Amino acid sequence: MNVIQAVKMYITKMTEESGPGMKVILMDKDTTSIVSMVFSQSEILQKEVYLFERIDSHTKWDNLKHMKCIVFLRPTSENIALLSRELRCPKYGVYFIYFSNVVSKADIKTLAECDEQEAVREVQEVFADYLAVDRHLFSFNIVGCLHGRNWNQTHLQRCSQGLLALLLSLKRRPVIRYEAGSEVCSRLAERVRELMRREAVLMDNNIPFNGDLPPPQLLILDRRDDPVTPLLTQWTYQAMVHELLTISNNRVSLADVPDVPKDFREVVLAPEQDDFYAKNLYSNFGEIGQTMKSLMDEFQKKAKSHQKVESIADMKNFVETYPLFKKMSGTVTKHVTVVGELSARVAARQLLRVSELEQELVCQSDHAGHLQRLKALVGSEGVRAEELWRLVALYALRYERHAANALPALVEALRARDPPAARAAVLALEYGGAHARQSDLFGLQDAAKITRRLFKGLSGVENIYTQHTPLLKDTLEDLIKGKLRENLYPIVGGEDLSSGRRPQDIIVFIVGGTTYEESLCVHQINQAYPGVRVVLGGTTIHNSTSFMEEIKHAMQGVHRTHTRHIRNI
Amino acid sequence: MATANDEEVLEGFLCPICKADLKSASQLTSHFESLHQEEQDVLKSLKDIFGKAKKIILNTDDADLRETFDRALKLNSQEYYYPLEEQTVGVTRSSTDYFKAVRSSRLERYAIETNKLLIRLDKLVCNMPSDPNHRKQYEQEIVPWLDGSSVNLCPNCAKAFNLTRRKHHCRLCGSILCHDCSVFLDLNIAKSIVDPSRPQTSQTEEVNEKNGLRLCEHCYNLIELRKQVQENRNAKTVLVTAYDQMRSLMEQAKPAVAMYEKMCQSLFDGETTYNLSDVNAMRGRIGKLAEGIDILSKQIVAFPAEPGTRQAKLQNSIRQAASHYIKEDLLSLRKLPTEAQIEEVRRQRYERAQRQIQKERERTERERERRDEGAEPSGSWVDSASHDDDNPLLEQMNIIRGYIKEARKELRFEEVEILETNLKELKKEYHLQKLSNKS
Repeated sequence: MNVIQAVKMYITKMTEESGPGMKVILMDKDTTSIVSMVFSQSEILQKEVYLFERIDSHTKWDNLKHMKCIVFLRPTSENIALLSRELRCPKYGVYFIYFSNVVSKADIKTLAECDEQEAVREVQEVFADYLAVDRHLFSFNIVGCLHGRNWNQTHLQRCSQGLLALLLSLKRRPVIRYEAGSEVCSRLAERVRELMRREAVLMDNNIPFNGDLPPPQLLILDRRDDPVTPLLTQWTYQAMVHELLTISNNRVSLADVPDVPKDFREVVLAPEQDDFYAKNLYSNFGEIGQTMKSLMDEFQKKAKSHQKVESIADMKNFVETYPLFKKMSGTVTKHVTVVGELSARVAARQLLRVSELEQELVCQSDHAGHLQRLKALVGSEGVRAEELWRLVALYALRYERHAANALPALVEALRARDPPAARAAVLALEYGGAHARQSDLFGLQDAAKITRRLFKGLSGVENIYTQHTPLLKDTLEDLIKGKLRENLYPIVGGEDLSSGRRPQDIIVFIVGGTTYEESLCVHQINQAYPGVRVVLGGTTIHNSTSFMEEIKHAMQGVHRTHTRHIRNI
Repeated sequence: MATANDEEVLEGFLCPICKADLKSASQLTSHFESLHQEEQDVLKSLKDIFGKAKKIILNTDDADLRETFDRALKLNSQEYYYPLEEQTVGVTRSSTDYFKAVRSSRLERYAIETNKLLIRLDKLVCNMPSDPNHRKQYEQEIVPWLDGSSVNLCPNCAKAFNLTRRKHHCRLCGSILCHDCSVFLDLNIAKSIVDPSRPQTSQTEEVNEKNGLRLCEHCYNLIELRKQVQENRNAKTVLVTAYDQMRSLMEQAKPAVAMYEKMCQSLFDGETTYNLSDVNAMRGRIGKLAEGIDILSKQIVAFPAEPGTRQAKLQNSIRQAASHYIKEDLLSLRKLPTEAQIEEVRRQRYERAQRQIQKERERTERERERRDEGAEPSGSWVDSASHDDDNPLLEQMNIIRGYIKEARKELRFEEVEILETNLKELKKEYHLQKLSNKS
């Protein structure tokens, strides 16, 4: 179950089916991202694809009849209309059409009637309809999937179609489970089941039944059950880059970094194309620094000896024409630039101080002490409002039911500094407070968890900045051990799990977005349980900024019912 | 080496002035710079020729670099475990058949009509009289014109016919229309439609009644569609030709690189199937292919195209892809071992083999001694050597050696490999024969 591989194979199939010759690929906005997530431009050039065009670009183009056109589109009605127009006056010699999801017969008929020049050779559905971020991680890039606590209909459709495509691309026919306490999860689960039933023939013909293995499970969760994870400062490389610099479609913009070299205004961080990144994306910040230093030392030594060897020839010219040298120096410089910027931001925003309190808030219990330190931070000028709202939100969630809860005073203090930040903190409580959660997020009720925490406190923690483990870890471990309770996570359609409680293949989807911290946790589970394969997905992949957006969307037009006592927001 | 034939001089690193073998491109260049300063032009061309070869030679550092990089990576990162899973391409569903069924049922209607029109067009343009009056009569003979007496309005634009708006006929279907609604098909184009082998003449002057054929819009569209389909089939430009050539070179390069890797490995393993010069020649051939691809892709990028158009973008992309391919696949070949290294490996191998043989011999010796103690050792060594010359096996071996030499000259290394194994077998056979003769 490797989602990157699945998408890659589809795209390779498309480029190969059209045979040799110059090719152009015609895409829409979504499919462009889907392709760019798994292939670099130079890779796709080697497949004879030389031009990339957007179907919705309005430029009048010249005819290129000697080219083969690979069309890769989502089957939306706009795309069908645009493609009909294209086929009526074809600009390319032949067309190979691929839709990224189920397309209706009526739409195919419309297209066929436009193809008067008989330019179309293939019409197919391939199910690469999601963004493959890592081998076990996918996303739909939707921030704000809920509107007023309920599904935005367009997004609901996109997610259900995307999940269907995911199942077809991985050839899995799962049972679907969802979080019982969440209305949105049950809606999505129903929708996916409905789509699966509609495509039952396609699934049955292509996905072999295997009675010996327990069926795969698709588990649909709600972000509101764990609003804490996206609020925390991250310390592993990938998660940190996303939190501090924002990764969008594997690209990181460094444009606002002072003195950045021209080549690095925007850098690509894709584990498939960048060895260094692939090996270090889960390393923590300290390790990265060390690796980086030794790499630099060795590299400089090498570069020096290199210069000696080549002193006769023109060194500069040499370096430029020397692909490997350039590639490696490029990789090293890229990561040095990124890490340098990360450490600058960590220092400027006093993130070590902030992170320490964050971790203690969620993992330990000391209301008086935490409140005191939090107040001090709110009063300190060096900490930005972007960090403070997260801290206040964490406090609000953690001590929601505490007798001495001082949230109104904290919010008031924050409002004096930055009104939107104060509002965001209150909305976070409204979004993911105790009323919206079904799990024991802070481990306050479960006796085992309480003792575990007690022991942890006694033995001391290894790293104060990485004490937190996401709720997802417990959920997944329960699921793998067959202990995930069926009343809390029922199966859609009321089927029972008699055929197997301990699934080997698990697909988790989080409505409201997942995080790189959870991706790391899934990665660790895949390592720790041989034979078990977990794939994680979300409506998007959050950092704290996008999570704030998510909350705002979800709370739009909703009257605050659980935070009424906080006024003036 | 220095007395080798002409071809090898081209491949080696001989100074063009004093014919000394310099062993490497950089040494040759520096030799040239220091000793033949007056011939700077030659030096320049020399640099160009060996520009690529140099990159190949210098990959020593390439390998080192990669090692450094890998080592540094390993310092701090553990290898992750990923379950080995045979992943096949996901589910797909083809609607091509349905699409084609819908399309053909729709196009069939057009096709019958288009064919009818084409037959008429063929008759019209084939023997068309040049005199306008005769022409009109001729046209009417082929296509019966609609009787216009009862038609008062143009069927297309619904305007009344009168003195200024005269009635006209479509020359293909015979229907009535006004001048404003008629379209003219250039006669030259019409001729090229019915006879595709005719050379296309492109002229942009106004088409009117004299040099064109009056048609209604409907017929014109059908004919135009037909023309476009025809053109698409025959669309082959210089760009396509150059591109196809380039791709075919790339196709050739693929097995060549694979062969090179194999030969290289064989050298490192100390086998004697290939010589160092063979592998060098192979390297040269790959270099030549790379150069060919380079030249063709440069040609492609130089084809005239307005900047900013997709044609220009396409040509640039092709060039980019080609240079990437050359860099990544053709110039990053593995470094060859030196003569000394090969000698060393071969010596070790030989020694191993010798030890084996020695052991074997001792064993048989002991056995024989045990078996026929007291028997007299025969002196058949001399005998067998005397009638060696007319041994058919030897003759065959010599023939094969000749073949190998030839195949080598023409860089057909697959053949060399097969012949070498044959030769080995023959040698073995010969050896056995001698042994049996002896005993």
